[in-house]
Amino acid sequence: MPQDSAVRPYAGETYYGCPALKASPFGWKTAGYIFLAGLSGSAQILGTVADLGGGREKRNLVRNARGLAIAGTVVGPALLIGDLHTPSRWYNMLRIFRRTSPMSIGSYILTGFGAFSALTLGADRLGLAGVARVAQVPAAVAGTGMSVYTAALLSATSTPLWAASPRLLSVRFGASAMASAAAALSLGERLGGRPEGAETLDRVAMAASAVDLVASVAAEREYKAEGVAGPVEEGPWAPVEKIGAIAVGAAVPLVCHAINARRERPSAALSVLGSLAILAGGMALRSAMLHAGNRSATRPRDYFRFARPRPALDHRPAPDRIAR
Amino acid sequence: MAVSMGVPARALDYADPILPGLIPDEAELTAGVRIEPGKSYGFFTDTTLCIGCKACEVACKEWNALPADEVGLTGNSYDNTGRLSANTWRHVAFVEKIGTNGKRAAEMAPFQSNWLMMSDVCKHCHNAPCLEACPTGALFRTEFDTVVVQQDICNGCGYCVPACPFGVVDLNEVDGKAHKCTLCYDRLKGGLEPACAKSCPTDSIQFGEVPDLVEKARARVEDLHGRGAVDAYLYGAPGEPGATGDLGHLNAFFLLTDRPEVYGLPTAPTRASNRVAPALGAGLATMAGLTLAAIALFATNRFATNRRR
Repeated sequence: MPQDSAVRPYAGETYYGCPALKASPFGWKTAGYIFLAGLSGSAQILGTVADLGGGREKRNLVRNARGLAIAGTVVGPALLIGDLHTPSRWYNMLRIFRRTSPMSIGSYILTGFGAFSALTLGADRLGLAGVARVAQVPAAVAGTGMSVYTAALLSATSTPLWAASPRLLSVRFGASAMASAAAALSLGERLGGRPEGAETLDRVAMAASAVDLVASVAAEREYKAEGVAGPVEEGPWAPVEKIGAIAVGAAVPLVCHAINARRERPSAALSVLGSLAILAGGMALRSAMLHAGNRSATRPRDYFRFARPRPALDHRPAPDRIAR
Repeated sequence: MAVSMGVPARALDYADPILPGLIPDEAELTAGVRIEPGKSYGFFTDTTLCIGCKACEVACKEWNALPADEVGLTGNSYDNTGRLSANTWRHVAFVEKIGTNGKRAAEMAPFQSNWLMMSDVCKHCHNAPCLEACPTGALFRTEFDTVVVQQDICNGCGYCVPACPFGVVDLNEVDGKAHKCTLCYDRLKGGLEPACAKSCPTDSIQFGEVPDLVEKARARVEDLHGRGAVDAYLYGAPGEPGATGDLGHLNAFFLLTDRPEVYGLPTAPTRASNRVAPALGAGLATMAGLTLAAIALFATNRFATNRRR
């Protein structure tokens, strides 16, 4: 006999509206770390690209990039340890390696990134350009991990908003990280009176912003399709996501840099505006996703819509089996 | 083991009200199970037998020395416990199905007074997302196939909290560690039945080896169906709702009579770690593409600069 309770699609039932999940304890420190990890990781990538293929006049850019990478490896772990509830045991993060845990994977990425970034900058300062040139490659490889592992960290949870679109969240974080690094380094070039370097970086930022914008729009659609879009459609984090992350973080810089790219003499003001928008938007993206995700965990209907049977995912058709 | 009137024969060895000490393999007397490392243990919680007495909640708090959470009234039927938390490892849910839209019921279906009562607990998932998320190895699988947080390892990163698909694991803000049901790991080591199951007066909570429990549970569902309670089904047993999304079966599984969501449970929870590869893959591909773009842009710029010279 078919059971009504098991076969009928979900119609909004909850247990007194109580959350069916617990929200992560992550707050502004984690959001700040995700932003900084992306910024410093991607800065190391751009520094390496500029060092190996950018010519002598990119020397200051390379040095700035290496400095940004070090900033990430100094401030980043401080933020992470500050977010632990038993910070004195921070070293237990390196007690085991667990490939199912992005937190564990990330601990090793951060350790490797920090070690090679320090070696790169240290060798550079000591005049050992050859050592720096070799050490920056593994640092840059770790930098790609720094830029995106944080998206895997959020996605590999049961929090509906984070879990609904693992690929697009990761594309957004990665593109935003690359755009942020290019923006920060572009500002450095402007301040240093080297507009040519800034113009190249602005084009990198433009490409990254374009990817970010497309992925953001696609992600919004996926959240709606999964029934988990509530926290980015309404409430305090909706404007941070829509205006901060998408409009300011991706659309504005794309327009600024696109106008500049078509100009004979690119405008410094547009370049700086685009760069600042990317940095502000990058932080907005991480804050919005983190806090909206925490909200989504406390919305039982979002979770129950997300945790519906998916025959393609499960090895069996879920509701049919219990109907007997 | 010889059993008469439901009492194992060996129980007569302990007829004296003053016990000489710990009874060896006591679970054999209280649950008919000898607890041995290497076997898989769990709970079968049959909600059709639950009377909502909360003895399990109390026994759990007593044995594990857990303090009360905030004391107050929720307004949600007799459930003033609210939720599983760092200090609450059994939670009895109450759903009153008597009357709708604020109206008193004029007639009642003949089943369990139309109250759903369900003692919720950590599911001790086969592929436990909390364990898979734990970066320190504090969360581990014991020799009894249960999932436990080692308090001397946990550094309170809190990643297990959003990883859990059932909202079970919780951080204690006072001691800064993650806590959840241990399936009475210490009692199992001493041959004792877990406190909640031992205290359950109706055997709604049954402790045992998981394969035996699943067999018993399936027979119970058949029995209930035969008696007209056609909505009865298992949640978390192999191949049933709750044991979805690559989680595998749940060592603590349930017999329910309404949709899982009514009890606050997801129909098809998923294994969070399955999202690591897609996320990392898409992200690294994005980074590779943007890095190539950067290489091309820097090379173009260098070429242009050289030409101007």
